[in-house]
Amino acid sequence: MNIYIQELKMSVSSAIYWTIGMLSTMLLFMLMFPAISTDAVIMQQIVSKFPPEFTKALGLTTLDLSVVTGFYGFLFMYILLIGSVFAMKSGISVLSEEVRAKTADFLVAKPVTRTAIVTAKLMSVLTNILSQNIIYIIGAFIVANLVADHSFDQGIFLLINISLLFVQLFFVAFGLFLSVVIKKIKTVLPIALGTVFGFFVLQMLNQSLADAKLAYITPFAYYDVSQIIETSGYDLGYLAVNWILIIVFTSLTYFIFNKKDMPSV
Amino acid sequence: MIIGTFGPHYENKEAFEMSVIEINNLTKYYGKARGIKDVSFNVEEGEIFGFIGPNGAGKSTTIRTLLSLIYPSSGSAKIFGKDCINEGQEIRQHIGYLPSEVFYYDNMKVIDLLKYSASFYPNVNKKRIFELAEIMDLDLNKKIDDLSYGNKKKVGIVQGLLHSPKLIILDEPTSGLDPLMQQKFFDLIHEENKKGATILFSSHILSEVQKLCTRVGIIKEGKIVKVEDINTLKSANYKKFKIEMKEAVSTDYFDFAGINDLTVEETTVSFIYSGDINKIIEKVYERKINNLIVEEPTLEEIFMHYYQKEA
Repeated sequence: MNIYIQELKMSVSSAIYWTIGMLSTMLLFMLMFPAISTDAVIMQQIVSKFPPEFTKALGLTTLDLSVVTGFYGFLFMYILLIGSVFAMKSGISVLSEEVRAKTADFLVAKPVTRTAIVTAKLMSVLTNILSQNIIYIIGAFIVANLVADHSFDQGIFLLINISLLFVQLFFVAFGLFLSVVIKKIKTVLPIALGTVFGFFVLQMLNQSLADAKLAYITPFAYYDVSQIIETSGYDLGYLAVNWILIIVFTSLTYFIFNKKDMPSV
Repeated sequence: MIIGTFGPHYENKEAFEMSVIEINNLTKYYGKARGIKDVSFNVEEGEIFGFIGPNGAGKSTTIRTLLSLIYPSSGSAKIFGKDCINEGQEIRQHIGYLPSEVFYYDNMKVIDLLKYSASFYPNVNKKRIFELAEIMDLDLNKKIDDLSYGNKKKVGIVQGLLHSPKLIILDEPTSGLDPLMQQKFFDLIHEENKKGATILFSSHILSEVQKLCTRVGIIKEGKIVKVEDINTLKSANYKKFKIEMKEAVSTDYFDFAGINDLTVEETTVSFIYSGDINKIIEKVYERKINNLIVEEPTLEEIFMHYYQKEA
């Protein structure tokens, strides 16, 4: 419990900044919605003049920007991106910070098991991510309901938003895994940004090529907003892959961290 | 178990039923690089054991294996009769460890770090933090990143002692401390030892080991060279000679068994000798001399001799 609280104390301010970042990005986009939805016809015309590969890559071909869920689906890609970078950053740094700050000799020499260390740290990250999701989703509901000109399906809207949590959990697990595999991590953010944007580029390729196999290797493809709007649910295949990966990477983290030599200073 | 019931006097070692630390053929390779090889020694209850060797000899590797910060390639180690790896968590309840390099979470205040450290142990007397800080002259309200290296070391010392551990492991504890603080620190260690704590003290500075320890283990290039009682070590009849001859002598004049570290510079001859002192007197008598100085060698010089001999 003490490690968990200590971790939270050290990470809470960063979690707040990133949540504010996500909320303001969402707000900024949503403020444009009334203008865009009234000129939806013109917007569609403009979009149709773009090369089809480009519009596909941005996900514009399948989303109807004149309705609030469609428009939100378009901007949600960027929320996912910010949230994923935060999740990845948290995942990579939470264990490796002890090595980076050279405090591993302090913590690991205490009467705690390595497993308990991973659990406490993982719980602190999960607490941050869950609180972030709750705050963000409440914000998103308020804003969406304020700017919407027609009523929209609140259930679908919730489903879209919850996919943020699942994608973030993937990146937390993947980040944890990387942090115990990579020998020495000097700075966290470049690795987090690089990995997340890598997956994002894969997703743009995937949307543009519509290759079903490619979709499995990027978590950004698991929760396609237009598909959620259409079916009012998630694709169970992708959902399963998402969770299997989360479990695999988390288990590997426990396993490797337990066997690992703490590097000396 | 009867930890803590015996006095600190090493002379009573036959009475001990159990070694606090038992290391058996402990070997650690970092990839192909040598860490330690076949290290074996015991530390008995209530003693202050000096672990001495030059930098890079494997002192920290041995210590970090005892704390399961790293895992051995082969061999095993027991503390309080329990396996270091499988029962590490239990063992570490009763260990206070001061790493050779101290680093703490920068944004914390000293008192918060110490409270955090205390939170890992059941039944820590919070008063002890303030007592120790008082003795070590440590400002508890400063932020850790504002502290000098020496002051961080003090945080490390308080952090390692606040839970009154039965075994105190100190890895090069005095670096960064001024002489006054070193003295206070030694007094503190003596006091803990009197209360029953066993101490493993690693250092490359021999004079401090000489001051503090009852036995020493000498490690060199990853291997234990010798484990010896500090008194035996000091009482081994080593004498340091410095002779100014009337006339220059050849190098081989004094080159015979028992002579170490021989240097001959024109008329000045110096060496460390262990053996029958009459042999030297005979040699000196044959030639006339201007001056003769015979001294007790420092431990440092005795160790240098060990290192060279075993190499």
